[in-house]
Amino acid sequence: MNIAKKAAGGALRFRAYATAAYVPPASMENVQRGRLPPPKPKPESPTFYTGRATYYDQLLALENASKQTRSALQQLQLLPLSRFAQQNLPPLHPVWKSQVDLAELMEAKLTTSRYRRFVSQLNQLNQYRRLAEVAGHLALAERLQRVLDMFERENKEAILARGKAKPTKFDEFGRTYTVGRRKESTARVWVIRTQLSPEEQAAASSSTTPAEPPQVQTSESPAPPPAQTVEDPIVHSAPAVGIPGFESGPLSIGPTQVKVHTTNILINNIPFTDYFPNVADRERIVRPFRVAGLIGAFNVFALVRGGGSTGQSGALTLGIAKGIAAHAPEVEPLLRKGFTSLKL
Amino acid sequence: MALPLLRRGAASAARCSRSSVQASVVVNIRQNSSFAKVEETPLEAPEDWTNLQLKRAEYKSLIDTFSEYGSTQTRDNTFQPHHTLHRPVAPSDITLSALLASGAHFGHSHTRMNPNFVPYAYGTRAGITIIDLDHTLPLLRRAAQVVRGVAARGGSIVFVGTRADLRSTVRLAAERMGKQGYHVGERWLPGTLTNKVHMFGPDVARDEQVVPDLVVFLNPIPNIHAIRECALEHVPTIGIVDSNVDPRVVMYPIPANDESTRTAELISGLLSVAGREGVAIYHEEQAKAARAASRRPSRPREQHMA
Repeated sequence: MNIAKKAAGGALRFRAYATAAYVPPASMENVQRGRLPPPKPKPESPTFYTGRATYYDQLLALENASKQTRSALQQLQLLPLSRFAQQNLPPLHPVWKSQVDLAELMEAKLTTSRYRRFVSQLNQLNQYRRLAEVAGHLALAERLQRVLDMFERENKEAILARGKAKPTKFDEFGRTYTVGRRKESTARVWVIRTQLSPEEQAAASSSTTPAEPPQVQTSESPAPPPAQTVEDPIVHSAPAVGIPGFESGPLSIGPTQVKVHTTNILINNIPFTDYFPNVADRERIVRPFRVAGLIGAFNVFALVRGGGSTGQSGALTLGIAKGIAAHAPEVEPLLRKGFTSLKL
Repeated sequence: MALPLLRRGAASAARCSRSSVQASVVVNIRQNSSFAKVEETPLEAPEDWTNLQLKRAEYKSLIDTFSEYGSTQTRDNTFQPHHTLHRPVAPSDITLSALLASGAHFGHSHTRMNPNFVPYAYGTRAGITIIDLDHTLPLLRRAAQVVRGVAARGGSIVFVGTRADLRSTVRLAAERMGKQGYHVGERWLPGTLTNKVHMFGPDVARDEQVVPDLVVFLNPIPNIHAIRECALEHVPTIGIVDSNVDPRVVMYPIPANDESTRTAELISGLLSVAGREGVAIYHEEQAKAARAASRRPSRPREQHMA
C-alpha cells in the first residue's frame, strides 16, 4: 500500500504540469507565469515595407512640395501658363547629382528608373522655382532653391562654364596676355592701361572740366614695357581760346588746354610705325581702338612671328581686340565680328 | 477697382430678362478693357508678370460674381472624382449603392471564374461574372472590424497597392492611421518578411518589430508572393478578391472588382477610417493607463507559482 502511494506520489511530483487536481479558472487569473518580453518599437518610416524607405520618403517629400507649390502658383494666377508666357521664361540649366552620388546620399542602391523618376520630380520643382523667381515672388523661389540645393552637384558652376571661353586673366601689373592668329602669323599681345602722370591725376580729381577728346599719337622712342609715360604732344603755336560763340561743350575748350593721352604700340620691341610701313596695316591695328573709342587708354606690347605683313597685322588686330575686351567688357559687342553698322 | 461697378451692373442685369443680361454683360466687358483677353506683349520685368496676374485675377472675380446667378450645383456640393480619395466613407455609412456606383460588382470573364468563388458570385451577364454585393457588404464590415481591433491593440497595418493608380490611395490610407499605418505603392520586394536580416540589416531586424500585425492587399494577384510571405510569417491578411481568385488566399477576403480604382479607393478609405478609430481607441487607453499609473502609488506585486 505504502509503496503504491509512494510510487503514485513520486509519479505525481514528476508530472506536476499534468496535474489531475482541478483549479477553477477564477484562481488562474492573477497568476504571474513570467513576464512577456517588452514590445519592440515599430519602424519609423511609413514606407518601411518597400525596402527603400529613404528613397521613397525623399521622393514623396518632393512630390508633396511640388503639389503645394502648384496650388500656391495657381492661387497667384501664374498657373496654368499660356504658351506665349512660357516662351518668355529664361532657360533652365540644372545640374543634378549623378546616380552614384544620389545613391550615396540615400545609403542604398539606386536603379536607373528610380533615378530618372527622382530627377523628373526635381525638374518639375525647378520649373516652378523659375516661374516664382521671374514673377517676383522671391521668398517662395528661395525656399524652393533651398530644397533643390540638396540635390545639385557641388561643382555646378564649373560644369556650366565648360565649353565657354576662359576669361582672360590679369597679372600683378594689370596686363592682359592674349593671342591672335591670322594666316601663318601668330601675335602674342600684352595690353595695359595708360598711367596718368601725377599732375594729371591731381588735375582729374580736382577739376570739373569735361572729358578730354583723345587723339592717336605715336612715340618715336621705344619705351620699355609695361610702364609708359605720357609725352606731351601739345602744339604751342595754336591759340589758347576756344571757338567764339561756344560757351560750353567740347568746342569751347582750346586745343592748347586739352591734355591728350597716347597709345604706344611696340611690336617685337619696335614702334609699330617702323614695323609696318604700309598704311593699311597700321590702320588695321588701330581699328579696335577707334571702334571702342578707347584711343589713348591702353598701351600695347606684342611679339609677332610668321607670315607676311598682312597676316601679322591681322593677328595683332585680333590680339589687341581681345585684350581691349578683357579690360573693358562693355565694348566687347562692338568688337565682335559682324558689327558693321559703325562706319569709321 | 472695376469690381463694384461690375457688381452693380451684374445686379441690374439679373433683374432684367435673359437676353438683356447677356447684352449688358457683353457691353460691360467691352467697356472694361481690363477684362479683355490678355495681350501677348513680351513679359520682361516682374511688373509685366504682376500685370498678367492681376488681369487673370480680375477675370476670375468676374466669373465668380456671375457664378452666384447660375446653377445651385457648384464644385463644392457635387461629386468630384477626387472625393473617393479625399472623402472616405465611414464603415457605418457604407451602402450597397455606393459599392454599385464604384463598379465593385464587375468580375472577370466567366470562363476564368474560380470554383471557390462561386458562393460570392451573383451570376454571369455579358460574359463576365457579377459579384454578389449582398455578400461583399458584411465581409467588408467584418474586415473593418478586424482593422479597428488590430489598431486598437497598437498593431501595425500595411496597405499594399502596387499599381500606379493605387499609389496615392495606399499612401493616404497609411497617413490616416498615423504611426501605425504603412504603405507599399511600388513592387513588393521578395524577402521583405522572410529575409529581413538581409533586407533591413541585423540591427533593425533585431531591435525593431519588422513583421506587421495586419496586411491589406488592394490587388492580390500581382502580390501573390507577398501573400505567401505573410502566411509563412503568420500575418493575418485582408484582400480584395476578384472572381478569378481563390478567396482562401487571404484570411478576410472582400469579394469585389480589383481592377476598379474607385472600388479600391472606397474600400481602402473605409478600412483606413476604421483603423483611425482604432488608433484613437489605442491612444485613449494609453492615456488612461498613464493617468491611472501616475495617480496610484506603485505596490510590489506578489509572485504566484503554479
